[in-house]
Amino acid sequence: MAGNEEGALWSIFGYLISGLIIWGGIGFGLDKWLHTHFFLLGGLVLGAGASLYLVWLRFGRE
Amino acid sequence: MLGLAFAKGGGFVPPSTADFNLPPAIGNNPYTTKPIFLVVLSVVLISVFFIAASRKALVVPSKFQFAGESIYGFVRNSIGEEIIGHEFMRFVPFLFTLFTFILTNNVFGIIPLLQFPAMSHVSFPYVLAGFSFVIFHWVGIKKQGLGKYLKGIAFMPGVPKAVYILLTPIEVATFFLVRPLTLSLRLFANMFAGHLLLLVFIMGGDHLIRGVIGLKIIAPFAFTFGIGMTFFEFMVQCLQAYIFTLLTALFIAGALADEH
Repeated sequence: MAGNEEGALWSIFGYLISGLIIWGGIGFGLDKWLHTHFFLLGGLVLGAGASLYLVWLRFGRE
Repeated sequence: MLGLAFAKGGGFVPPSTADFNLPPAIGNNPYTTKPIFLVVLSVVLISVFFIAASRKALVVPSKFQFAGESIYGFVRNSIGEEIIGHEFMRFVPFLFTLFTFILTNNVFGIIPLLQFPAMSHVSFPYVLAGFSFVIFHWVGIKKQGLGKYLKGIAFMPGVPKAVYILLTPIEVATFFLVRPLTLSLRLFANMFAGHLLLLVFIMGGDHLIRGVIGLKIIAPFAFTFGIGMTFFEFMVQCLQAYIFTLLTALFIAGALADEH
């Protein structure tokens, strides 16, 4: 099923992107609001970790 | 900035985004630009080709009929049946239209005289991705009911409840924002970059052969590379049409499945 593998590839890509955007975005907003500098970095790391976990849940468990 | 500086000295003007803003053909009417004409032409060509190919269907197909049937068969079997499964027939018309429409418009990018991929204007992919977006969500809502469908997206089964705080925003963003965006932007960026790449080699070669900077001898290499890149572009154009259709089929399949 070459097509499904290709699809899994793009789904994984999508998850990684949205993890970074969402949690990075929340971190960025918190930084702007509280005038700090570490929430963006923390958010990006959190988002990357969470999306990797999600990818594992979706594709790694079977 | 660099390009501007060169242009003032009468030198090479590198191709830029300005090359994609083609002037209207009739007056100031923005609906009469080249991409619009190409899209209309593609619809006419596709319709004529497939109507002609299927009109006199024979048991032993002519070459023409064979060409039409193999494209249809490819979309129906390799994309529709293999990805979506037993309910695939409902979606074949949409997938087939999507595939042939994108493919034709992409290939217009390397056909002499036409030579412009309409998909390098981002609004065309946006509209197509919008169709995919509405259809795969609609299919999912109809099949599972609104509540169950949204729950299936937002809450991954078999995860401790506290983790949902972390995962649900990502899932929702993936399904409602990142999917249509990546779908359209991938097609757009590939067509845009490909057209720009061809412009660089062909226009650069043209500039070199005029001998303004005394490098006439390099011009053939630029043209040769341009021709090579044209074949490479053909591959990318087919691949992008395939991937767009494939991902749409996958999204539909995901919406039809009871559990993601």
